Amino acid sequence: MLPMPRSLLAALAASTMIGAGLLAFPALAEMTKSLNLNGATGLIDMPSGEAQDDATFSFNFANIGPLTRATFSFQFSERLSASFRFNTWRDWNTLFPAEKDKETDRSIDLHYQVVKESGYLPAVTIGVIDLAGKGMMASEYVAATKGFGDKLKVTAGLGWGRMGSNGGIGAPFGNRPTLSSSDYGKIHIDQWFRGDAAFFGGVEYKLNDRWTLKGEYSSDAYLLEDDQRGLIEHDSPLNFGIEYQKGPNVRFGAYSLYGSEVGLVLHVILDPKHRASGGVMGAAPDPVKARPSRSANSGAYDSSWATQAGAGPALRTVLATRLAKDGIVVEDMAVTADRVEVRIRNGRIDAGAQAIGRTARALSHVMPASVEVFEIVPMVNGVGVSKVTIRRSDLEDLEFAADNATALRERVSITDAGQMPDYALGDAGLYPKFHWGLKPALRMTAPMEGDVGARLSASYDLSPGLVLSGSIYGRLYSTSDGSADPSASILPHVRSDGGLYNENSDIALERLTMAWYAHPAENLYSRVTLGYLERMHAGVSGELLWAPVESKLAIGAELNYTKQRNTDGAFGFDEYDYDIVTGHVSAYYDFGNGYLGQLDVGKYLAGDVGATVSIDRVFVNGWRVGAFATVTDASDAELGAGGYDKGIRFTIPLNWALGNQTNSKLDVALRPAGGDGGARVDVDGRLFQWIRDYHTGALDPEWGRVWR
Amino acid sequence: MGPRVALTGTGRLVFGALILATLSACGSSKPQASPLAQALGAVAKNTLHGGSAAAGTQAPVTRADLEKLGTPVLQAAVAARAFAALLSPSDVKGNVVTWTSQDSVTFTFRDGILIQTRGLGPDLMSAEAPSVSQLLSSGVTYERAYYFLGADDQPTRRKYDCSTAIVGKESLEILERSYTVTHVVETCSRPQGSMTNEYWIDGTTVRRSHELLSGGAGFVDFARIID
Repeated sequence: MLPMPRSLLAALAASTMIGAGLLAFPALAEMTKSLNLNGATGLIDMPSGEAQDDATFSFNFANIGPLTRATFSFQFSERLSASFRFNTWRDWNTLFPAEKDKETDRSIDLHYQVVKESGYLPAVTIGVIDLAGKGMMASEYVAATKGFGDKLKVTAGLGWGRMGSNGGIGAPFGNRPTLSSSDYGKIHIDQWFRGDAAFFGGVEYKLNDRWTLKGEYSSDAYLLEDDQRGLIEHDSPLNFGIEYQKGPNVRFGAYSLYGSEVGLVLHVILDPKHRASGGVMGAAPDPVKARPSRSANSGAYDSSWATQAGAGPALRTVLATRLAKDGIVVEDMAVTADRVEVRIRNGRIDAGAQAIGRTARALSHVMPASVEVFEIVPMVNGVGVSKVTIRRSDLEDLEFAADNATALRERVSITDAGQMPDYALGDAGLYPKFHWGLKPALRMTAPMEGDVGARLSASYDLSPGLVLSGSIYGRLYSTSDGSADPSASILPHVRSDGGLYNENSDIALERLTMAWYAHPAENLYSRVTLGYLERMHAGVSGELLWAPVESKLAIGAELNYTKQRNTDGAFGFDEYDYDIVTGHVSAYYDFGNGYLGQLDVGKYLAGDVGATVSIDRVFVNGWRVGAFATVTDASDAELGAGGYDKGIRFTIPLNWALGNQTNSKLDVALRPAGGDGGARVDVDGRLFQWIRDYHTGALDPEWGRVWR
Repeated sequence: MGPRVALTGTGRLVFGALILATLSACGSSKPQASPLAQALGAVAKNTLHGGSAAAGTQAPVTRADLEKLGTPVLQAAVAARAFAALLSPSDVKGNVVTWTSQDSVTFTFRDGILIQTRGLGPDLMSAEAPSVSQLLSSGVTYERAYYFLGADDQPTRRKYDCSTAIVGKESLEILERSYTVTHVVETCSRPQGSMTNEYWIDGTTVRRSHELLSGGAGFVDFARIID
């Protein structure tokens, strides 16, 4: 592709550079809003009044003698943050040798900053820790933090629950009811801010941009770990230590805790708003090919080519070759003397707007001068998701104009994809096509616990929209002890036997489905999926989605009939003898600024009826962080320890870190427990997720990349 | 139309592939091993080395070496991106010329003044920029606008009010050749701060310049080596 001189120039460049100096990362301008051992904003073991910068996403791993805490935290908005924590207590049987040697728990926190620091006012945050678990970490607090200069910060706060257990000042809001096992998994509002309250506080002193000293007075007596279980000694309420910031993403801490333990912590801090690579990497696009002026060369605009047999296929071949280097496939094309519609599949570029821009420029090179209108239809799963209509003369006019992205968007229309014209060229032997992949995969049941294995997946596209696909998981190594029992849930065990599904299958057929995706009418999309839908359930799932291209609201309906599969990962159904019809009506709403809400109302796998609310924050670069919660008519007894289905989920696009062209993503959903209440079939290819990518709600925020 | 010149007999100028590798550190996409490992590596690299990259050490190149290529040559260096390359023209449309590096990073100039870049990461997506004749008429105030693609993938606009001052005639040497140039300083300000671009203009050709590229990439240095 590159002419010879250019590669030589590159080689020569290294030896002639005069100004190729290097620049280090800018120094940290202000005092970091540091995190504590619980992965939340705070001192050492105590929280503070501060909040992280908007959208900060952190992972934290802390070890305190026999205790381990692994936490994901996300600053969901400027004031609201949430944490999801895995807790492990080793040597749990120190005082009771007959019991299990390890206890685990998962907890969710919410922290809300009610006052931002300003002038004489400190930052004030209210938080609820472990708000819906077994209450092993349950505590609530109000904390205030004030900075003095750019080196010193002082925090004072009042805590309840665990954080009210040392040096209590009485119970200002009444007694704290104890939790019974039927409360597990539910939100314990009646406990909040009840019982003894106690003061905590501390200081942070920044030595320089890397080193920070911290000291605190903790109001947590560690009654569970000391008095009840004998795991660690609480000899002193004073904790102190030092932290080291290594670059913008990593922070280490080492502390003396409670006069008896050493605490170590690693924080990985990511900013989803800003690419680790500094920007969108990847090769520059081809320039727009300029047409000769019509007055100077009217012959170039002759359109008789359009009547020649073979012109269309020839143009298509050239276009396909040009787009292949960006991983874009030409699925279909229909060309007339003045207009071309091209249907593309974007395999690699992470922003639809960029794929559209590259296609438009490729068309400017390939199409005869008489073709003035470019209609680009992005296709996903064989379905045209929208149609972007660009006038070629606008492309030519705006290539070098100031603010060309905004100017082009004003002249472009984005509409329903519609149907392909009768004279379309067809798929030209693209179908059937076969893909496969083999990737390492984890099946985790707790941190550091679960299976390490490999997932072999394959798909066979029979025709556009008709896909046979499946995946097999093979376990290579497991840390489980093979002693999982059927769950004690009173509800049908539609989810809670996850441990058995893990342990009973060295090799499991996870999915084997035939899916049919279509766009039957304007604004309407459909899906039918038949087969082994997921590792626990098989059957048929149908879905309809109404989603106009420019609408903030979309509405869908899903209906499933499924039978529960055997735990051995094979084809059988005799182990459970359970089948059910489930279904939901769903509303999706784009609140703007990247906040997406979803409400699903319907019948769940265990036969319970209720609703799921979820909210996600979506970033232009593909990062996504959200939370979901379900409430159904299942009784407390039926729900058991797991409670309703709830949790957090996040998606990290790998190209955010790498900068290269890839669509690969890391998708994670974390649940405190895998209960049977509020469970849904985990079918692949639900419509809204991928239809939205090419509607204006997603295309407009990333439109700045159309000229990239 | 663009002076893409295919040459023969230049094979002997090939330097090692290793040098290409060091140059691509600012890079376009490369063949991937494990995406996850690389993602971690990218974060690790920023953490451990502050995003630095090594510069090559090779025997100096002579003007004769470059002239043998038979194409105009522009040198570009973006310190903040550890980017340094020699460019040749790849597209010409009237007074707008696009120059391309070996690893497909492009710099586009209108009338010799930078208006776009692609492939650096925090790119200059478009700009409203003065012409060379405007730079040479000192004392006149005009508007400049930069449109960056920020690290958040969002276009960011920066508007400046600018004026130029002619420092005077200077002698400038670029790779064995001396030029008599007019040194022009362009001072631009906006409420959030000010910045200065510098140009060394030889007739109507910008022979050398130090110009703002974007908020994330900082300044770029150009030297026009071969016309």
